[in-house]
Amino acid sequence: MLALIEIRRRKLQFGFVTGVVGLIAYLIIMVTGLGLGLNEAAGSALLDLNGDYLAYASNSNLSVIRSKLTERDVAEVQSLSGAEEATPIGYVAAVIEFAPEESDSAAIIGVVPGSFAEPEIVEGSTIGGPNDILVDRAWVRVAGTRVGDELALPVGFATRQFTVVGIVDQGYFFFQSTMYVDISSWKELNFPGDVGQRPAASLVLLSGNDLEGMRGEGWRIVTKQDGFNNIEGVQGQQSTVDALRYMGLLIGAMVIGVFFHVITLQKVALLGILKAIGAPGSYLVFQGLLQVLIICVIGSLLAVGLALLTEATVLSSDTIPINFTNSAMTTTSISVVIAGTIGSLLAARQVASVDPIIAMQQQ
Amino acid sequence: MAVLQLRDVSKSYGQGSRRVDAVRDVSLDVDHGEVVALEGPSGSGKTTLLALAGALLSPTSGEIFLDGDNVTRYGARARTRYRRDRVGFVFQGSNMVPFLTARENLLVVGSFGGSDRSAIRHRADELLEQLDLGAVRDQIATRLSGGERQRVAIARALMRDPSLLLVDEPTASLNFELGTRVVDALLSEVHRRQKACIMVTHDDRMARLSDRIVEIRDGRILSERPLS
Repeated sequence: MLALIEIRRRKLQFGFVTGVVGLIAYLIIMVTGLGLGLNEAAGSALLDLNGDYLAYASNSNLSVIRSKLTERDVAEVQSLSGAEEATPIGYVAAVIEFAPEESDSAAIIGVVPGSFAEPEIVEGSTIGGPNDILVDRAWVRVAGTRVGDELALPVGFATRQFTVVGIVDQGYFFFQSTMYVDISSWKELNFPGDVGQRPAASLVLLSGNDLEGMRGEGWRIVTKQDGFNNIEGVQGQQSTVDALRYMGLLIGAMVIGVFFHVITLQKVALLGILKAIGAPGSYLVFQGLLQVLIICVIGSLLAVGLALLTEATVLSSDTIPINFTNSAMTTTSISVVIAGTIGSLLAARQVASVDPIIAMQQQ
Repeated sequence: MAVLQLRDVSKSYGQGSRRVDAVRDVSLDVDHGEVVALEGPSGSGKTTLLALAGALLSPTSGEIFLDGDNVTRYGARARTRYRRDRVGFVFQGSNMVPFLTARENLLVVGSFGGSDRSAIRHRADELLEQLDLGAVRDQIATRLSGGERQRVAIARALMRDPSLLLVDEPTASLNFELGTRVVDALLSEVHRRQKACIMVTHDDRMARLSDRIVEIRDGRILSERPLS
């Protein structure tokens, strides 16, 4: 009762701190969204692959760029007893001109047509021949490419024409929108020189059980998530984003802590009076914590509203890799409430330790 | 038996050469329906005696009884319950919760013990009417006049129907006319409800409105004068 009435009657004071908490929570949501967006741009296409495991070349240090598997490696992996399905995939980056003087880079993924590595089509048809290509929606948004359009992909110093036969929704790889071609075409795009020296694949995608950690002479298997975590820059990027989030939560806790510390100092005489007339310390601490909870919950809701508004307006384009998910917003809101409560514990201790004799001494 | 009994109560602060004896061997009884005015100069120990009777302080020696119960043996929780249920405080300057209305200041005291809400509301409204505060019951405490605030403080002190009222300089911030009205209201409630009351005051004119004046100097009772 006391807590709610005070907030209602001191709207400006509590409104100000709620606004500050809201802005901090908004910042944390933005940073979290940026982290998710960056992760998505780093390799959502890899994470969205249907399989569970990836086989890399032993000497690649789990780098997709450096991983080159031979026909023998691929055959060995495909013949593993625990592997239900196994299919080779290839990766190469390419700069593609989609209009005069306009180009963008794309991640070209080579897949075996009809295999479980081939992505689901949202428009058009699957890869039917060596000159067919599937393009991701992210590319469509940038280049305006449609089914039936021709794309010229670089092969050495020349180009090779591909026909867009389908649109997919697989996202990004290495911060580039993805395109899918027949793995035989990928070999030519990636290694236009000596045909005999071409590797069979960059990776082998597997589904099955208990394959993690298996290794052969030229290959090793890790989970898809481990593969994602080892994408160049992902871990550093995630650590940076996490550090920003924790810093935001720390600042939030400190702001709430200092606010309630100051409020408590201002109210020492009043708290003394209330204790003198019989208010238990636990009642007063509860009232304070209730205020913290209300401020944090309203501040978090404010932040979620702001984030949704930002997503709908400023970030509606593809230029900023940011992604707001319900779980990120919920986690941030809960974190802000917990941080706020922790921050206010000092004030709660102060409240509990106010001596009621102060009621008579401070007159 | 007296409602409040103080038996050889002493209160000292500090030790050795820094020891200050605020209250020395005070024995005092206050009966039902009796207002005792504690009179004396600043630093004479009046407020310390009030704080001892209200269990805000524990005596260095001696015993305090309320309705026969030895208050000096109470632990921290029991002292909180004692202040909540058996003692009503009226502080100098009233000390209302500033963001609450007059009525809410009474309700919040009622809510400490978790009593029946409708009973609390009924009692608050009844007390406000009896103290002629019906018209200002929904006014925020800071907007009340000094006299109104002190009467609200008296009503608040009576909220939980305590045995003992402890009143500290209730007229310090009021002019004589308003002060007299506040003390009259206090006396009227104490007599009507048969409470025991100790009122600390500097003002001899206010003290003379009580039933007995106890003069205190250097922590000791100097004299007692019954007035009625």
